[in-house]
Amino acid sequence: MSSPEKLQKAIKVIAQLSIDTASRTFSKLIKSGATIDLERAFMADISEVTRIFSGSEDEVVGAYVDLVGEAPFTFLFFVSAPDSLTLTDLMLRREVGTTREFDLYAKSAVQEIGNVLASAIVNVFSRDFGIAMKPTPPAVTRDYVGTVFEEYIVKSAGELNELFVMESRFCVVQFDIKCHMFIVPLPGSDEILQSVLESPNMKEYY
Amino acid sequence: MRIIAVGIAEIKVVQPPALLRTNLGSCIAVCLYDPATATGGLLHFMMPQAPNASAVCKVAKYGDTGINELVEEVKRVAHVKSCSGFVAKIFGGARVLQNINSEIGSNNEEAARRILKELGIPITTSQTGGDRGYKIEFDVGTGIIRCQRFGEEAKEY
Repeated sequence: MSSPEKLQKAIKVIAQLSIDTASRTFSKLIKSGATIDLERAFMADISEVTRIFSGSEDEVVGAYVDLVGEAPFTFLFFVSAPDSLTLTDLMLRREVGTTREFDLYAKSAVQEIGNVLASAIVNVFSRDFGIAMKPTPPAVTRDYVGTVFEEYIVKSAGELNELFVMESRFCVVQFDIKCHMFIVPLPGSDEILQSVLESPNMKEYY
Repeated sequence: MRIIAVGIAEIKVVQPPALLRTNLGSCIAVCLYDPATATGGLLHFMMPQAPNASAVCKVAKYGDTGINELVEEVKRVAHVKSCSGFVAKIFGGARVLQNINSEIGSNNEEAARRILKELGIPITTSQTGGDRGYKIEFDVGTGIIRCQRFGEEAKEY
């Protein structure tokens, strides 16, 4: 296995561990069953990856978080605008259907979900691999899915033309809510991830 | 009609019937049209200027290298030697995230206007700036662009 492939494997393992942690935390937060699956992980050209959502009229609410520290990553969580209202009610423990518009509460709810999920990733880095990381406060926006994703790529790509993208979807079972999460490693994380490959925790996944 | 999605850092040049479609935030879409041959192209660029133009492998990522490439591509598909009859429309350059990428949108817009001016290509219309994303549909058959800013009614340009 070549080095880039090994790194991708390392990132996938970290993502899977993060997802497991995030699932548990998120289920507790909303007091409802939530499952998160790693949908796909791939190296993609920035044009190719943005074409996925290009031209879509779908409206979403997204939370952007930078994971800063020894292995910098960017993180994006987004959910359709109607589903963000349901999540707000679940978060605030009130009857689903109470929140009818994207207001300050809904914005805060999505911000908090972004924070919880990003923190779960950071915890895995720290607990399992001894990598010091911290999440920045989430920036939340509501817009076309193509725009939300484009801004994420603009933030992440910098001088890169290809990105290693991991997409996860999670479902809040009772309400059939589907959300997306993306993680992109930034330049500077390679060296640290290389050391992760050598850790005993990682070896059990090979 | 063919509907062609244009991703970030990408150029698509086609002849009718075709619809070029993209979403924008801080990026700029330069829609270039040759009315004489009904050839249209869309560049979706991400940053105003290439750090080292001679070493760029993805020219459509930057305004300076991307616009020049767009012009050459439209000339090639239209089988014309000059861009004298070409017209341009530009969209995007928004500041979607208030605390992130704050100047990228306006820098992109400025670069697009400057480069097109240097090439002698008139900008016949534009819809730029603001704090919301854009959805763009460029009908290459008519040269008309349908632009919808998030949360607003669509307009034709």
